[in-house]
Amino acid sequence: MNYKAVIIGGSAGSFQVVTKILSSLPKTFPIPVLLCLHRLKHVRSGFVEALSLKSNIPIEEPNDKDQLKPGKAYLAPANYHMYIELANRIALSTEDVVNHSRPSIDLSFITAANAYREKLIGIILSGANKDGAFGLKKVHDCGGIAIVQDPNECEVKTMTTSALQLTKADFVYSTDQIIRFLQKI
Amino acid sequence: MTELGIVDIREIIRAIKSFYDYDFGNFALTSFKQRLERLMIRNNLSNADSLIKKLRDEPDFFDIFLYEISVPSTEMFRDPSLWRWLREDLLPSSIEKSIGKYKIWLPNCVSGGELFSLMILLSELGLTDKVSVAASAFSNRSIEIIREGHYDLKKIEVSTENYIRANGSAAFTDYYKLDRYYAFRDTSLIRNIEFNKLNIHLDNAPANIKLILFRNNLIYFNPTLQDRILTVLNNSLSASGILIIGIKEKISGFASGKDFDIVNEAESVYKKRIIG
Repeated sequence: MNYKAVIIGGSAGSFQVVTKILSSLPKTFPIPVLLCLHRLKHVRSGFVEALSLKSNIPIEEPNDKDQLKPGKAYLAPANYHMYIELANRIALSTEDVVNHSRPSIDLSFITAANAYREKLIGIILSGANKDGAFGLKKVHDCGGIAIVQDPNECEVKTMTTSALQLTKADFVYSTDQIIRFLQKI
Repeated sequence: MTELGIVDIREIIRAIKSFYDYDFGNFALTSFKQRLERLMIRNNLSNADSLIKKLRDEPDFFDIFLYEISVPSTEMFRDPSLWRWLREDLLPSSIEKSIGKYKIWLPNCVSGGELFSLMILLSELGLTDKVSVAASAFSNRSIEIIREGHYDLKKIEVSTENYIRANGSAAFTDYYKLDRYYAFRDTSLIRNIEFNKLNIHLDNAPANIKLILFRNNLIYFNPTLQDRILTVLNNSLSASGILIIGIKEKISGFASGKDFDIVNEAESVYKKRIIG
């Protein structure tokens, strides 16, 4: 399959899962990985460093209008929404919070779905609010692949169960299954 | 409401250009689309045609349009580390050295968050009388809201935390009043501010400015317009004048970037390069 990006959303309880995924991807992962994870808005540094410790691919917090490159992960910066603009660029925004969140997973997923249509893989992980549910629906409606972490495996189930209520996910996967899926693309 | 497609957005941009000679063609597409959709929901407009018709038939609505397309600052004293640096480093030393009034310009005030943060800081430093502050806005509505001191209740909690982190020297509650469902700022802070309306390309920008605060505005433009606006800002600055943009906005890579030197990378502070 010819995917152009994978986007991952998570909140409480997702850090370990994201770390495990990033440490299992091949160094030459063929597409960009977009990470929208809820985080403290006033803590600007430390998160990328923590995620990078075990990651196989480089992770950065993009600047506005940065060009996305394959084999790299892009983490939504604190207190900004992260959009995917056409022409494979990031666009940041300080618009109002959505679902009490900035960055909002819904907004990242919706804009990525608009940019990549059926060539996007969206993954919702453990989390404590419903942010991301609508975004994953949009990924699915645009023909992309919608994956939800198995709620039984999640530290906090709210985010994944909300996503499953709104969308018929293509796959409900454990962390290991998500990794195997990504390793094959 | 149906989602706006690219064709709808192009139509809206074309219509505004023909009615009002404002060109939104170089605004960043994704955020512009979101602002348009938000504005349409807030004004009960169901599609691009109804928005275009309202813009054509109601000139007063264009001011509302300009107000709602603009994105207000998220909170006061956003990025407290920048405000600490302004308080402890840049402002006291630069204003002390300034011959005549130290001119500060905020090119795009939307709700006044950034302006009131600055005026509180200057007041606490006892420097209000040594500066002249020009506040521009894209809409008359913004100027009205700021002058009347309207303050979004939702932003008080985070702004208070920021103020404390920024080493504010008073109590943040000194600067606003609660009136049942509303909050009002202490407008005595802005009594000497010169307000003016500018268009979205900042034509007729002021000159000889020592400090420009323009944080998290460039993100709403595409790289073409970002480059052009950076040139406008550079032209407004006096020799060695300071430009502060958002921490995730960078000027390297732009033709205009060579006209600036970096002063504080973490806080995106730049200085006009002296030619020669």
